[in-house]
Amino acid sequence: FQDQAEQFFRSGHTNNWAVLVCTSRFWFNYRHVANTLSVYRSVKRLGIPDSHIVLMLADDMACNPRNPKPATVFSHKNMELNVYGDDVEVDYRSYEVTVENFLRVLTGRIPPSTPRSKRLLSDDRSNILIYMTGHGGNGFLKFQDSEEITNVELADAFEQMWQKRRYNELLFIIDTCQGASMYERFYSPNIMALASSQVGEDSLSHQPDLGIGVHLMDRYTFYVLEFLEEIHPASQTNMNDLFQVCPKSLCVSTPGHRTDLFQRDPQNVLITDFFGSVRKVEITAETLSLDRHVPGLESKFPEEEMATEPLKYAEQLPVAQIIHQKPKQKDWHPPGGFILGLWALIIMVFFKTYGIKHMKHVF
Amino acid sequence: MAAPLVLVVLAAVTVRAALYRSSLAVFIAERVEVASPLNAWKRVVEGLALLDLGVSPYSGAIFHETPLIIYLFHFLIEYAELVFMITDVLTAVALYLAIQDFNKVVFKKQKLLIELDKYAPDVAELIQTPMEMHYIPLKVAVFYLLNPYTVMSCVAKSTCAINNSVIAFFILATIKGSAFLSAVFLALATYQSLYPLTLFAPALLYLLQRQFIPIKLKSKSFWLYTMQYASLYLCSLVVIICLSFFLLNSWDFIPSVYGFILSVPDLTPNIGLFWYFFAEMFEHFSLFFVCVFQVNVFFYTIPLAIKLKEHPVFFMFVQLAIISIFKSYPTVGDVALYMAFLPVWSHLYRFLRNIFILSCVLIFCSFLFPVLWHLWIYAGSANSNFYYAITLTFNIGQILLISDYFYAFLRREYYLTHGLHLTRQDGTEAMLVLK
Repeated sequence: FQDQAEQFFRSGHTNNWAVLVCTSRFWFNYRHVANTLSVYRSVKRLGIPDSHIVLMLADDMACNPRNPKPATVFSHKNMELNVYGDDVEVDYRSYEVTVENFLRVLTGRIPPSTPRSKRLLSDDRSNILIYMTGHGGNGFLKFQDSEEITNVELADAFEQMWQKRRYNELLFIIDTCQGASMYERFYSPNIMALASSQVGEDSLSHQPDLGIGVHLMDRYTFYVLEFLEEIHPASQTNMNDLFQVCPKSLCVSTPGHRTDLFQRDPQNVLITDFFGSVRKVEITAETLSLDRHVPGLESKFPEEEMATEPLKYAEQLPVAQIIHQKPKQKDWHPPGGFILGLWALIIMVFFKTYGIKHMKHVF
Repeated sequence: MAAPLVLVVLAAVTVRAALYRSSLAVFIAERVEVASPLNAWKRVVEGLALLDLGVSPYSGAIFHETPLIIYLFHFLIEYAELVFMITDVLTAVALYLAIQDFNKVVFKKQKLLIELDKYAPDVAELIQTPMEMHYIPLKVAVFYLLNPYTVMSCVAKSTCAINNSVIAFFILATIKGSAFLSAVFLALATYQSLYPLTLFAPALLYLLQRQFIPIKLKSKSFWLYTMQYASLYLCSLVVIICLSFFLLNSWDFIPSVYGFILSVPDLTPNIGLFWYFFAEMFEHFSLFFVCVFQVNVFFYTIPLAIKLKEHPVFFMFVQLAIISIFKSYPTVGDVALYMAFLPVWSHLYRFLRNIFILSCVLIFCSFLFPVLWHLWIYAGSANSNFYYAITLTFNIGQILLISDYFYAFLRREYYLTHGLHLTRQDGTEAMLVLK
C-alpha cells in the first residue's frame, strides 16, 4: 500500500521531450544562443536524445563571421565549456524561428511535409521541458526583432496541448527580462514555470569575455547550468533546489516560479523528471515462452481468392439529362407599366420627329 | 456611297463573327483594358441572373448598369453577340450619315466665307474641296468599324458599344438639326454614363449656329433657345430616370450607377488615371481628390466653348476625347469613338507636329498593356507601377494627340483669315506659336 501511494507521487511519464528556443539574432545576443545550448547540453547529457529535442536557434553564433573562435560557443569567460560540440542538432535555424513555427511545434499543427526532427511528437505520457530565452517585456517575448509572442498566446497554446493530450507534465523556464509575466496567464493543469526575473525587473547577463567581445551568458542560466552540471541521471535532487538557484545576491533579479497548476508537490518532482530521460525499469520474476505455433490462432486468409463484385458508386448526377435540358424559364419579367411607358415614349419621339402625317400610313 | 459602306460593314461583321468563334473571345473578355466594372458583360449576366433569383441586381457591388440595359438584355441575352454587332454597325452608319451632313455644312459655310471675302487671298491650298471630302464619311465608318479597339470591345461584349451608339445617334441628331431628338439622345447618353453631360455645350452651340442665332450673352433669342434646349434635355432625363424607377420599383439604381461613377470605389486597374492614385491615397483625402478628378472632366467645357464657339463639331470631338481620357472607368471602346473622327480633320495633317511620335506611343502602349499586366499579375516580376507607367504614357499620348489637333485646327483657322505667308511688322517671315 505504501508502494502504491509512493507510486502516486511519482511522475506518470514514460518519455521526455525538450523544446529549447533562442529567439534573438545578431552577434551581440550571443548569450542567448549560449543559454539555449547550455540547456541543450545538459538535457542531452542527462539522456534525452536528439530525436526528442526540438532546438530552435535564431542565429548562428558558432559560424558567425565575428566569432574569433569559430565553431565554438562558450559559456564561461575562461572558455572552459564549449557548449557547441560536435553533435549539436539544430532543428529550427535562423529565420525558421518564428512565432508561428514555435506555436505549430507546440500544438502539433504542422504541415504534413515537415520532417520528424522538426516535430514535437509528444503524447499524454510525455514530460516536456520548454526553455525560452531572448529579449522580453511585460507580457511578451520578442522573436527575431520583428514579432512577438504574448503570454496569452503561450497560455492558449499550452491549453491546446493539454486538450490534445500532448503532455503529461510541463516545465516552462524562461530567461528574459520580466520573465515572470510570461507565466502569469497559464491556466492549464500540470504546468510548472520558472522565470529569471519578476515583472518590472531586468534579467542581467553574466560577465563579458574580452576575447570574444560579448557577454557569454545570462546570469540565471549560468547558475542553472552550474546547478545542472552536478546532476546525473540517478540524482534525487528535486525542484525545490532548482527554485533556490540564483538568489538575488547572485542574479541581481529575483527569479520566480509558479507551481499552483502543478498537481504534485515540487518536493517530489525530480530534476531528472524533466531534464533527463529516465526510464522506469520494472524487474519481473516471471518468464514467458514464445513458441512458434500459438494455439488458438487460425489462418485468416482464405485458400483462394474469390471473385469480387464490380464496384458500384453512389448515385451520381444525371449528367446526360442535365446537358440536354432546355434552359429554364426566366422568372422575372419587367412590369407591364414600364414596357407600356417606354414604348409610348419611343412612339411619341418617333412621331414628333417625323410628323403626325405618317400616322395615317401606319394605321 | 452605299455600296462601299455595305462592303465595309460586311467585312467588320465577318471579323467580329470570326473572333467570336475563336478562343480569343474569352481572353479578350477578361482584359481590364476592354471591360471595366461599369460595362463588363460578365456583370450584366450576373445582374440578370440575380434578377431571375428574385434579388435586386443592385444589391451587391457587382452590377452598375442602368435599368434600360436590364430591359434590353432581358429579352436579348441569347442573341448578345448579334446585338453587339448590330450596335457597332448602327454606330458606324450613324457616324457616316452625320459626317456626310457635316461635310455639306462645312462646304456651305466655306463657300459663304469665300464669297464674303473673309479669307486671305493666298489660302487656296487650305480650302477643302468636295473631291477630298467625298470619302471622309466612308473613312469615318471604316475607322470606327475596323479599329482594333472597337473590335475588341465588341468581342468582349462590353456595353461601351451601346454607349458609343447612343452618342453617335446624338451626334447625328445634332448635325441634322433636330433639337428635340438631340436632347433625347443626349439625355439617354447622360443617363447611361454621366459624362456626356459635357456634350450639351457643343450641341447647343451647333444648334444655335444652325438657327443663325448669334452667340451673344445679352441676346434674348440666345437665352430663349438655350432655355428651350436645356428644358428639353432635362425633361427627357427626368422622364427616363422616372421610367427606370418603374422597372424595379426602387431608386437603388441611382447610387449603384451614378454614385459608383462619381465616387470611384472600385480600384481595379484600367487604362485610366484614377485607380493608382486612389489605391495609395489615405482615406482622409480621398473625398477631396475624387472631387478634383471628377471636376477635371467637366472643367474644360467652358474654356473650350469660349475658344471654339465658331466650330462646335470640333469642340464636340475634343470634348469626347476629354471624356474618354478623364472619365473614371475608361476603356478602349471610348477611345475608339473619338478616334473615329480623326479622318474628318485629315486636312489638318500638314499642321500636326508630333503625329508620328504620338501614333507610335499609342500603338506601343496598346501592345505593352497586356505584356506588363502579365508580368505584374502572373509572372510577379513587375508591380503596379509598371502598368501605371504605361497607363500614364497612353493617356499622355492621347492628351498630346488632342492638343496637337487643337493646335493644328487653330493654326489653320488663323492662316485662313490672315494668309499663309505671315510676315512680321518688319517684313520677315513669322512663325505661329500656340501660347
